[in-house]
Amino acid sequence: MKTKVWMVLLGGCLAAGLAQAANQAKFDAAYAAAVEAQQKAASVSGEWRDIAKFLKQAEELAKAGEFDAAVKLAKKAERQGHSGYEQMVSQQGKVGPEPFLR
Amino acid sequence: MKPHRFAVLLAGSLVAVAAAGVAAEVDPKADLEAFQSFFKNKFPSLPWEEYANGSYALDPAWRANWELIEEFPPYEVAVAKGEEMWEVPFANGTTYADCFGEPGVQHHYPRWDKEQGQVVTLALAINQCREAHGEKPLKYKKGAIVDLLAYMAYESRGNTIDVKVPEDDPRALEAYKKGRDFYYTRRGQLNFACAHCHMGMAGRKLRTESMSPALGQTTGWPVYRSKWGAIGTLHRRYSGCNKQVRAKPFKAQGEEYRNLEYFHTYLSNGLPLNGPAARK
Repeated sequence: MKTKVWMVLLGGCLAAGLAQAANQAKFDAAYAAAVEAQQKAASVSGEWRDIAKFLKQAEELAKAGEFDAAVKLAKKAERQGHSGYEQMVSQQGKVGPEPFLR
Repeated sequence: MKPHRFAVLLAGSLVAVAAAGVAAEVDPKADLEAFQSFFKNKFPSLPWEEYANGSYALDPAWRANWELIEEFPPYEVAVAKGEEMWEVPFANGTTYADCFGEPGVQHHYPRWDKEQGQVVTLALAINQCREAHGEKPLKYKKGAIVDLLAYMAYESRGNTIDVKVPEDDPRALEAYKKGRDFYYTRRGQLNFACAHCHMGMAGRKLRTESMSPALGQTTGWPVYRSKWGAIGTLHRRYSGCNKQVRAKPFKAQGEEYRNLEYFHTYLSNGLPLNGPAARK
């Protein structure tokens, strides 16, 4: 009987550990993608204000075990990185005073 | 032909072609004419010198408030501290006068420095002076440098802005173009360019704020801003503007803001300097 209880407990611990590792891996991937997008935006001077803040908050959430919220925030940072990059690239060679002088 | 001579010739040709390309794209004199005409048409009854007063030239209620503030100018302490800085010698016995001659030289900045190959602002020149005389550079956005800038601005009052973009150095035109591109580029999550607020929206309200015209915006720096509760630099304000449109700001006195200041100040050529100033 005692052996069975220990086996159930051990199984539970293993499952929890695996879930934690899977969540951490999911967050790490989302965070890495966000950092890459941030750097891409910065390479064309197009980084938006809050990306670094979102990344910091996402890290803190992940440390606290709140992986869903952490991944959500990292994805938001990644989207902003891509948008900042697109914003700058789409204007290259096209900006000037003309539209503002009308 | 030896390979290295060919490489030098090729590199020289590429630089010349690139410079010619920039020259063909940008004409500072035409920009200035179009820009100043735009504002003269937008505010036909506004006297020329009034552009140096920003939105207070356009909003009577804010102007009355500002005139009351100017009875006891909040930047006076900074001017006094700056005067002391000007007079106290460095450790090696020299002073700022050894670099600048006299304090009233703000109208010579920003300027294109051919030897350095970059735009030199007055703040940068102050730190270059300090370092040349064995002193540590000052921090750029606030603190002691602003006091010295306030004193030098005060002594420069009434001088006319006359920024030059030398035609014999294509690198100067390139720096001007970079500043120009910065000014007209949408940035940040709000997708605004500087020109959106300070050309099209000039004189109009954005929430409770009256937007100042871009023409004249560089005349009064450093500025005591009520919002800051302190006196600060133009680059601090650039940083704030970028944050307001949710863009990551650039480094004060970095290349981006120095080029921006070069273009921005050039557009106010002909206006009198009236710093330091007080703003909301």
